[in-house]
Amino acid sequence: MTDASVLGAAKPAPVETEALTLMLGDRVLLDRATLRVERGQVLAITGGAGSGKTALLGALAGQLPAGVDMAGGARIDGHLLIAQGGRLAPRRPLALQVAEVVGHHLGLDLRSSLRRMADGLDRMGIPAAARRFDLPPEQLPESLRWACLFAMAVAVGPAVLLADAPAAGLDPTVRLRLLHRLADWARADGVALILAGRPEDGLAGPADRVLALRRARLLPANPARTEPLTPLEPPGTARLHARGVGMSYPLAPGPRGEARSLAVLHGIDLDLRTGETLALLGETGSAKATLARSLLCLPPPTAGAVVWMGRDLMAATAPPATGDANDPDRGGLRRARRDLQPLFPDPAASFDPAMTLGAQFGLVLESLRPDIAADRRDHRIDEALEEAGLRPEAALRWPSALSVAEAAHAGLARAILSEPRVLVADEPASSLSAEERETFLDTLMAVRDRRRLSLVLATERYDEGLRDAHRGVVMLAGRVVESADAGTLRTAPLHPYSRAMLAAAHGERPALQGDAPSAFAQPAGCPLRRRCPLAREFCAQAVPTLEEVAPGHHVACHYWDTPADG
Amino acid sequence: MAEYDQPPLSHPVPPETPRAGFARGLSGAAILAALALACAAAPLMADGSAVHRLDADPVAAALLDGRGSLSFALLAAVLGGLLGIGWALLAGMLGTLVGSRAERRTIAAAQRMAGWPLALLVPLAGGLTGPVWLLALVTALTAAPAVAVLAHAELSGLMRAEFLTAARAAGLPEGEVVRRHLIPNLTRPLLAAGVLALPRVLAAESFASLLGLGLPPALGSWGASVGLAARLGDPVAFVPPALLLALALWAACAIADGMAAGHRKP
Ligand code: SF4
Repeated sequence: MTDASVLGAAKPAPVETEALTLMLGDRVLLDRATLRVERGQVLAITGGAGSGKTALLGALAGQLPAGVDMAGGARIDGHLLIAQGGRLAPRRPLALQVAEVVGHHLGLDLRSSLRRMADGLDRMGIPAAARRFDLPPEQLPESLRWACLFAMAVAVGPAVLLADAPAAGLDPTVRLRLLHRLADWARADGVALILAGRPEDGLAGPADRVLALRRARLLPANPARTEPLTPLEPPGTARLHARGVGMSYPLAPGPRGEARSLAVLHGIDLDLRTGETLALLGETGSAKATLARSLLCLPPPTAGAVVWMGRDLMAATAPPATGDANDPDRGGLRRARRDLQPLFPDPAASFDPAMTLGAQFGLVLESLRPDIAADRRDHRIDEALEEAGLRPEAALRWPSALSVAEAAHAGLARAILSEPRVLVADEPASSLSAEERETFLDTLMAVRDRRRLSLVLATERYDEGLRDAHRGVVMLAGRVVESADAGTLRTAPLHPYSRAMLAAAHGERPALQGDAPSAFAQPAGCPLRRRCPLAREFCAQAVPTLEEVAPGHHVACHYWDTPADG
Repeated sequence: MAEYDQPPLSHPVPPETPRAGFARGLSGAAILAALALACAAAPLMADGSAVHRLDADPVAAALLDGRGSLSFALLAAVLGGLLGIGWALLAGMLGTLVGSRAERRTIAAAQRMAGWPLALLVPLAGGLTGPVWLLALVTALTAAPAVAVLAHAELSGLMRAEFLTAARAAGLPEGEVVRRHLIPNLTRPLLAAGVLALPRVLAAESFASLLGLGLPPALGSWGASVGLAARLGDPVAFVPPALLLALALWAACAIADGMAAGHRKP
């Protein structure tokens, strides 16, 4: 009836499937999916680990993974598949690999292939200075590797581009920038683009249409929970104080034998109140994990002070003066350990592989709760396991027999064994898939509410971290750049970096350029200045300090009140 | 469509076989045990003519030689393994007590020495010194640096393990952390590193004996017999000890590989 349908009839869509069914053995991965992707359309397919995204892309690309059977019809025009992880040979110079791929598809020689590649990199927004074609991929930063893969696809110019887990593992602000660039190219050049990845990868942002692969069907995606599980209670008084906490690591001595060190955390002040949840937000290199560990004095920070209920923890962890080495509760450290418990980013590695869970839990109780009699310990362990969402029989299992999700819940069980008052969680769910994450975070919040715990939650997921928090602290390169209550940070952050993280969390295009600089090559002045859209000359001269812009809202930026030009 | 098929973007990843090394190690152990048994039983086959080895049946003679080679290798391997592990532990201890610099220097020395052709010292020692125990000590020293490097890598990997941090978070004092968590997890990797000495000392001893500068002739050695047979141009006397030596070397390497593969998580 309209022009579009007439055109559509004349020119079939580049990707069409008709009741496409995929089976892995007798398990149905995909049940009669009918899919149509037009030219210039961007489709995101999200699904957890093992949901069959890779098999679907493989079926579309005509490369079925081993053991997968296919029924139904799939028709696809000239396509290119970017496999999971990129799959570049790590040691061969990138230029040769690029020339091979581009030359293979277009029949070009090395020089013309590289010229096309350079055009592609332009469209990915990679500055000429960062292009190192002569290096092998293993020596390039991850983000540049992905940019090169995308640029290679642009250089080849297929009718359909299939990308499996594109830019996975990059920081959200960097990932979203690249994905938006790729989507822009697809729309401009009329390429049908299919992005597949986990729901939390933010593929939905650049896409025109999102389908979730759930229970073998392609369905519209469910929006994630955006409100706290239960209304947050107002926090009490501050118990944990960090003052000027800094951390630096010794480096090999310099050319003249002078001692050198690398400071990763710069004078952080923090207060945590009872029942308060504080989100530490930051990407790779922000030192949020270092700060989390410094709060626990594991290891103690190299500068500043951490005070728990009036006791200086750093003095307590210092090597004992002569005489009191046998004191079981030296400086109240054990009492503090009982009150402050960690959750680890890799829960499976935080259990001793040579002991059952029960034996390890027993040790924890023996050490932290000598007041619980030995014959009551098993009962306490069962309670903690059940509260963390595991069955009491889990105590008999070995750590290597646990799945990742079970290990995360077991980590939570261990943390609440001693009835602590504060949990310090460093990316506690980063190794979990989307549904497991939600389950785990819900359990964690339920535990927090039941026990009225204070919680420090370090995460790179801006929205998810703030969702259940009272307050948020945004960190960049070992400094706090913005701190405010969660509501303000979720709606109207002021620092350019917080705004970029918020945009990335919503799937929008972050206004930052390039990558985070390495800890060894931090620019002088503001650590963001090479990426910041507001940067001016003065930003290179002075590190901005935190200033209070509204009650309880601190920002460290020279030009936070200047609107971005253009 | 034809121009787009087979994207060379994908480089096939070789399938992982984590248990293969383990199975090889088991067969290596079985073969070495069989060899040792056969060598131990060899005097029974030689009709009492054990003293005149050159007159005996060449296979029986080679088995008799194996007694010298294998027992010397075992002695030197135990010494070398202990030396290497001690070296690694010393480095680790220096690291906690003195500072990471002392640790790095201690282990850098081992790394450098592991690259030297230390096996050349064995014929030197064999030519210059008499007693077997001294030769065993020198042979052990040639294997120790490699053991120390591997053992130290395992040790420092384990020292950074997250579960030790978890144990500290549970308020366990350092001594308890070491006793309850570090030592139980350290024995297997250290043993695996120690076994690395076995193929090295066996090879070093055979090399020295081949030159006629290894074990004293009374003890007998595969390397010495191979060297003698080669000098005399006697293929019948050459083949059995050469084959047995090759088999023993393969088995020793397989055990070392298997131990290294076995304790690593798949
Ligand atoms: S101080 Fe300058 S570079 Fe840093 S965030 Fe503010 S405007 Fe950007």
